[in-house]
Order: sequence, then structure tokens, then C-alpha cells
Amino acid sequence: MSADRFLSKRETIVLVLLALVVLVLMPCLNAFLPKTSPFYVTDFTLTVYGKYLCYSVLTLGVDLLWGYTGLLSLGQSLFFALGGYALGMHLLLMIGKLGQYHNDLPDFMVFLEYKRLPPHWVPFYHFWFAAAAVVWVPGAVAAIFGFLAFRSRIKGVYFSILSQALTYAACLMFFRNDFTFGGNNGMTDFKFILGHDLRASATQRGLFIASGLLLFGSYLLCRWLTHTRFGKVQQAIRDSENRVLFSGYATANFKLFVFVLAAVLAGLGDALFVPQAGIINPSEMAPDKSLEAVVWVAVGGRGTLLGPILGAVGVNMLKSYATRAFPNSWYYLLGGMFIFVVLFMPKGLVGLPRQLQDLWQKFRPRSQTNPVPAEEDADKVGRARPAEPGTPAPPPPRDETVNGTGSL
Amino acid sequence: MLTKLFRGLLAGAFLFCPPLVMAQAEPALDERHILLKALLSEDVDEQIRLVQKLQGAEDPMVEQALAAWRQGGVFIYETNGVKTPFLLDPKVEADSKSAAIRIEDGKPLQDEQKKPIRFLAADLTPVDTTSKLRIVIKDDLDLITLSNPDPKVRQAAVNKLGLDQNKSNLRFFQARMEKEKNVKVRRALDEAIAITELADPDANVEAGAARKLGEMRSIAAVDQLRGLVKDTAKKPKEVVQAARISVKQIEEYMFKGMLVGTAFRGLSLAAVLLVITLGLAITFGLMGVINMAHGEIMTVGAYSAYVTQNYFIKWFGSGGRGFEFYFPVALVVGFVAAALAGLLLERLVVRFLYKRPLESLLATWGVSLVLQQVFRSEFGPNNVDVTSPRWLSGSFDVNDVSFAYNRIFVIGFAVFVMALTYFILNRTTLGLQVRAVMQNRHMAACIGVRTERVNMMTFALGSGLAGLAGVCLSQLANVGPSVGQNYIVDSFMVVVLGGVGNLVGTITAALGIGVVDEMLQPFFGAVLGKIMVLSAIILFLQWRPSGIFVTRSRSLEG
Repeated sequence: MSADRFLSKRETIVLVLLALVVLVLMPCLNAFLPKTSPFYVTDFTLTVYGKYLCYSVLTLGVDLLWGYTGLLSLGQSLFFALGGYALGMHLLLMIGKLGQYHNDLPDFMVFLEYKRLPPHWVPFYHFWFAAAAVVWVPGAVAAIFGFLAFRSRIKGVYFSILSQALTYAACLMFFRNDFTFGGNNGMTDFKFILGHDLRASATQRGLFIASGLLLFGSYLLCRWLTHTRFGKVQQAIRDSENRVLFSGYATANFKLFVFVLAAVLAGLGDALFVPQAGIINPSEMAPDKSLEAVVWVAVGGRGTLLGPILGAVGVNMLKSYATRAFPNSWYYLLGGMFIFVVLFMPKGLVGLPRQLQDLWQKFRPRSQTNPVPAEEDADKVGRARPAEPGTPAPPPPRDETVNGTGSL
Repeated sequence: MLTKLFRGLLAGAFLFCPPLVMAQAEPALDERHILLKALLSEDVDEQIRLVQKLQGAEDPMVEQALAAWRQGGVFIYETNGVKTPFLLDPKVEADSKSAAIRIEDGKPLQDEQKKPIRFLAADLTPVDTTSKLRIVIKDDLDLITLSNPDPKVRQAAVNKLGLDQNKSNLRFFQARMEKEKNVKVRRALDEAIAITELADPDANVEAGAARKLGEMRSIAAVDQLRGLVKDTAKKPKEVVQAARISVKQIEEYMFKGMLVGTAFRGLSLAAVLLVITLGLAITFGLMGVINMAHGEIMTVGAYSAYVTQNYFIKWFGSGGRGFEFYFPVALVVGFVAAALAGLLLERLVVRFLYKRPLESLLATWGVSLVLQQVFRSEFGPNNVDVTSPRWLSGSFDVNDVSFAYNRIFVIGFAVFVMALTYFILNRTTLGLQVRAVMQNRHMAACIGVRTERVNMMTFALGSGLAGLAGVCLSQLANVGPSVGQNYIVDSFMVVVLGGVGNLVGTITAALGIGVVDEMLQPFFGAVLGKIMVLSAIILFLQWRPSGIFVTRSRSLEG
């Protein structure tokens, strides 16, 4: 398997274990244990974690853009929602006459007095057309926007602001009733996917396993991509785009590819999210949602592939706990956490052990140790730093140098 | 002639009834008696006939009673076979009963012991009305409004009655015209007479009225005139011709009015955007810090206006003269509060992130979440009510285009803030230092500028300007915890479009976006217009990636 080439032995073991837990253990606990058993995983829990897995796919894309290419896109929620809408349209049509108005048309169309199905809805009766749309619609939008933006060398914060404006404009558009996508109510009350009842336990298990598979697939893809020559160029663009440009690489094409890939990942993520959440509406694509996804990556640790997954699952678990426990101060928690992570934990949760280790080095009584200065660039997380034999021992840290470091 | 005779007879007949001796004014006497007769009559046709006679009545009691009758608020008190119509005092007392007032003389209704009687509204059965009768009463009331003491009410009534094109109204218009002194109401009367004459069977009168309306540029008449133009088959040629010319004149006039109105509203929108954006142009444009909490700092200003207003109400009462002056004080309070908030933000968060602009975006977004929650828990999740001082509310009309005072104020204020910013940046030591630090931080530090302090002051200045914008906005829009979010995307777009680090560019972009947005709205609606503006900006940046005005620099990373 090609995975052997880029995955270390330890990583492979961890991945296989995680895959066993997510893809086999949790569904089995749900399917075969009696409901009274303390280890029973309820359908609800399974759906909730399934949604977290979908969010993780989204954050992998965000991280590929932000952590590996240095592009902070605030348009990911748009691509996420576009994928969801594409599948949502199919699911809505599958309700058939079981809707509230017992009409062939979806409920909102009856409500808004449509006489017949708008032509662009018709092909969505076919599942595979919708599935293809999940990939190509976000991809195409990203390709067009990315082409325009990268061609005119819009980068840094300008790229962020423009992508946010794009999301905002699209969000306003989808809120309109006459845009034929359900207006502000969006789409809901889904009943069947591929003929299976969405409320059935087995369907939910299936969706959960599908989300897990998608996540592992995306992880392996990203892992592979970041290890190829392409990935090296990508990271070089993050560190100094101009040098890469002057070395003869068309950086715009690299960025465009990553942008489209991240959009497709986001779209796929929401396509599995929507049947589990049971609703898709325009507030999913509000600019805030993009920022939230970026928070998850920041909290988990950007520039690593484990970080985004950790962040998406962790922050959302915290959120579902905190919104119930202290509904009024949840935003203090989220906002405060965000500020704290950005200011004090630039490497996120994944980089935390390393950061603590450095802190320990700094405050350890100096007489006992061979002084090692605090690392200016605490990259290469979790890897041992061999002492470089050729170079002279670094000078002992003085106060100024210690104070001057610690930031990127 | 006949009417007069009838009225006289009626008055004569009623003179012998005891309560009438107390009645005061003579014309009122007639009108009231007709009304009483109508109220007590059993025959609907007679009632209608009597009520129709009350057209143009001037007695306020009649007006009140008619209005009450129409809504089922007139009752009859019967003792010893004498029926006395009465109304209930609109003032409801503690036991939810109200005093009864006799319609004949406006005095309290008394029982045999001369004690005032009070009733519970729900216990009484009102005097019946048929729908036909209600329509007749409505006509009466409309005509009565013609002599309302408030010229604005008079004008509105004239406009409405004119559109009825009811020929019998003409004599009331003409009677009113003789007494009327208010220029606007006179014009409205002219217009109403002409519109009524449009339905005249005599072609000459009709054509004359059409011509007159054209000369008056009467917007109200345009529908009727268009109807005449379409009606070529039935109407004489000269009438259609005159109407066609008039329609053309009026449409031209309306178009000009729309242009001026749109330009004015666009300008005021641009002014609001400009005040909001100037602060951003300093923190983002000059300092390079993406402050996502800028909108919330603006909200701090808006809430300062609210708090200041509440204190002024507490000190001076909401109607007092002192209250009128809360707004200038709010401007100062808003500036200071927002500047302090900005100062805190800079010291606690932003100063660590000058070299990491993308992360400053994220951290300040966190701040904005926290601030929104603070507003929500401090002032409640709903919008709060900020009352404009009297000198900022209302509007005046020039040639049917209305200019609102608060919008005019915002435009003037934007000019003032612009001048202030320009002055601070170009004529003060602080401004000099700011520009030096922004151009080359290290060099400025080398020649002794305390860059840390300059950063602090600049950020506070930018935030203070946002606070001013917030106070201003509280007069135009709702103040709520998430009001800042509505403006943040727009104002970032203004800065990017104008060219970062360039105040002239910011001003141009704000004007452009404001006016274009307002121009598109009548054709595409608010949302679609906004989407088009956003798309247009994205496309424009293809052509000029650094905005309208480019700050030239040799630096590669720009």
C-alpha cells in the first residue's frame, strides 16, 4: 500500500487503532449491545460524533489552506454549505408525497406557490447527479473565485476579506426566497437516503461509518499530498511566496489547486453532515461559520494534520457541553479560548507538549543542565532534535534573548 | 335653498325642547340637532339623508360623535320615555368604567338625582349602523377634516378627497379655499380641484384641468392623467392631447426628483460608511491590523449614546430642554468610551500580533464574540430605543423630494470627521509620528519616536472614530448587540477598494459604494443590490488589485 511510504510505523499503528474505534467499535457498540448496557452507544451519540467527523473533514481543508499554504480563506463555510445544499436538494425530492402538503413538489415550493419544479432541480432526482454536484459545485465556485483572486495576486488579509465578502454575498443570496433554494428556512424534514429511512438506527450507523471513511480517506490524501514535492512547494509558498515565484514556480496554480481541493473536501463533509443533522439552511454559510472552522484548526494546531481533527472534535464537544451547562457565557468561553490560543498557543493543542517542555527548560534550575535556548521556531512537533555535532554550543540564554523569542 | 329651509325648520322644532336652551353656538346647534335626529331615527334611509347633510360640519362635538358612531361608540340612555344619546369618555377610570357624555351639550349624563352616571363599555349596546351609513359617515368625517386646525392634517385630507374625483366635493374645496391661508394647503386645494375637474363631462374643463395639473407638476394626479391618455376611444382629442403633455411633464419631474432623492440618500449612506470606515482606515490601512472587533467598538459608541440619553432623561426629563443637548455630550462620551476600549484591546491583545496580521484577525474576532456577549448581558438581546433630539428628527421637502434632518446631519458630520482626521494626521505632532512609524517602524524608533506609544495612540484614535460612527448610527438605525456585524464586511470592502493606507481612496470608495448601492436599490431591491455591489468590487479588484489609489512602495511584500 502506498501509505507505507509516507506514514511512519507509529503513525500507522495510531491510525489503525483509531480507525478500529471509529469504524468498528462504536458502530458495534451501538448495534449489538442491549440498550441498558453501560457501554451502549446511543443513536444520538453516534449522530453527534458523525457530525464532528464531518466537521473534521472541513477543517482538514482549512488546515491544508491555512496551515500548509498560508491562505486564510473565510469562504470555507460557503463551500461546506454548497455541498450540503446539493445533497439536500436530492433528499428533499426523495420525500415525495410524504411532505406536509402531500405534493410532488417540496414543501417550500408549494408554500411559495410554485407551479412546477424549476428546471435546475430536475436532475437532482438522481442520487449520483447530486453526489457529483457535491463535488463539482463547490469545486467550480472555488476555481472561479480562486482563479480571479490568485491571478491578480490578492493575498494575505486581502484574500481573507474578499473570501469573506464572497461568503457574505452568497449567504444573502440564499436567504432570498426567490433564489429557489428554500430561502431562510432552507431544507429539512428529510426522510430517505438511497431508499433507507434516515431515522432508522442502521442508516445512522451507515452514515457514521461513511463519515469515518471519508475522514480517514481525506486524512490519507492530505498526508500523502503534503509529503510529495507538491506539498513541499506548497509549504514553501507559505513561508515565502516570492522566493518560490522567482524560482520559476507558478504559485497561482499551486494555490488554486489547494483551494479547489479544500473546497471539495468541505463540500463532501457537508454532504454527509446534512443527512445526519437533518437540516440545511443559509445560516450554515454565514461568514462566522468559516471563522469558527478556523478556530477549530487554531485550537487543534495548524500545520499538522492531527490538529484540525482534534480541534474540530474537541471544540465541538466542549461547545455541546458548555451551551447546555452555561448557555449565557458560552461566547465568553469561545471568544476567550480563541484569544488565548492565538496569543499563547500558536501551535495549538498538538504543539502544547512541546511548548510545555520548552517552558520547563526555561525555568529549570540552570546549574543542573546543559543550557538549551528556547526554540525560536518550535516546528517539527514531536520529533527529537539531535544535537548538532558540528556547531559550537549555543550561548547560555540571557534574559533579553529569552524575552525576544516565543513568537513566530 | 331647500337645505337651508329644512335646517331652519329643524332648529325651530327643537327650540321647544328643554335641554336645547343650554346649547351655545348657533351653527353648532343646527348640526347637532341633525345628528341627534339621525341617531334617534328608526329609518335607515332617513338616517343616511340626515347624515349626508352634515357634510362640512364644523362642530367638534359632531365630529367626535360621528367618529364614535361609526365605530359603535354611541349609546342611548332612556328614562321616562326620553331618549338621550351619549358617548363614553375615552378616559377609563380605575374600575374600568367611564363617564357618559351627552351629545347634545357635551355635559355629563345625570340620573334623576343629578348624579353623573358611569358605565362599563362592554355592558352597553351601541346605536346600530349599516355599512352604507358608515360610508356616508366616513365621507362626512373626511370633509370635516378639511377644517382641522393642523395644516398637515388638512393637506392630507385635501389630497385624499381630491383623488375621489367626487364632483360634490368641489364646493367644499372652494369654500375652504376662501378661508385658507396656508400656502401648502392652498396648493393642495388647487390640485384637488383640478383632479376633480378631470372627471368633468365638459371637455374644455377637462382639458384645462389636465393642462393645469401638468403645469403644477402634480405627482398625485399622474395615475388619473395616464388613465385619460389610455382612454383615447372615449375622450375628445384635445383632452387626450393635454393629458399626454402633462403626463410627460410630470414624469420628467418625478424622474428628476428621484435622481436628486437617490443621490441624497446615497450620499448619506456614503457618509455613514465613511465615518465607520475612517476608523478602520487608520487601524487597518495605516497600522495593518485587521480588527474584526471594529464593529463592536462602534457598538460601544452606539450604546454610549443610549446610556447618555438615559442619564439625560433622568436629570432633565424626556421632554425637557436639557434633553435636547444629550447628543453632543453623547458624541464626546462615545468617542472617549470607544477610544478607551480600543486602548485596552491594543494593550491586551493586538500589540502581540503586529507581525502576524492573519492571527490578529482571529484574536480580534474572539474579542468581538466576547464583546457581543457583554452587550447582550448588559443591555439585553433586543434593540434598545434611542430617541433622536427634536432638532434631528423630521424632514423638509423641496419640490416633492424629502430631506431628512438626521441624514443631512450625518453628511455634515462626516465632513467634519474627515477634516478632523486630516488635521490630526497632517498638522499635529502625533500625526507626524504616526505617519513615520507606519512608513518605517525601525527608522522611526531610531530617531527617538516611542513607537509603542504611537501604536497605542493610533489604535485609540481609530477606535474613537469608530465610537463617533456608533453615536451617529444610533440616530439612523437600531442599536442592538450585533449591529456592528452588519457593517464590518462593508467597511473592510471600502478600505480594500479605496486602496489600503490611503485616506483619499477610502473617501472615494465610501462615496462610490454608498451612491451605487442606493442607485441599484430601487431597481433590484436591497439584498440583490448589495450582492451586485460586492460582486462588482471583487471584479474591480481584478483590474486594480491594490484598490483605486495605490500607495506606491518598493517593498516586495507590500
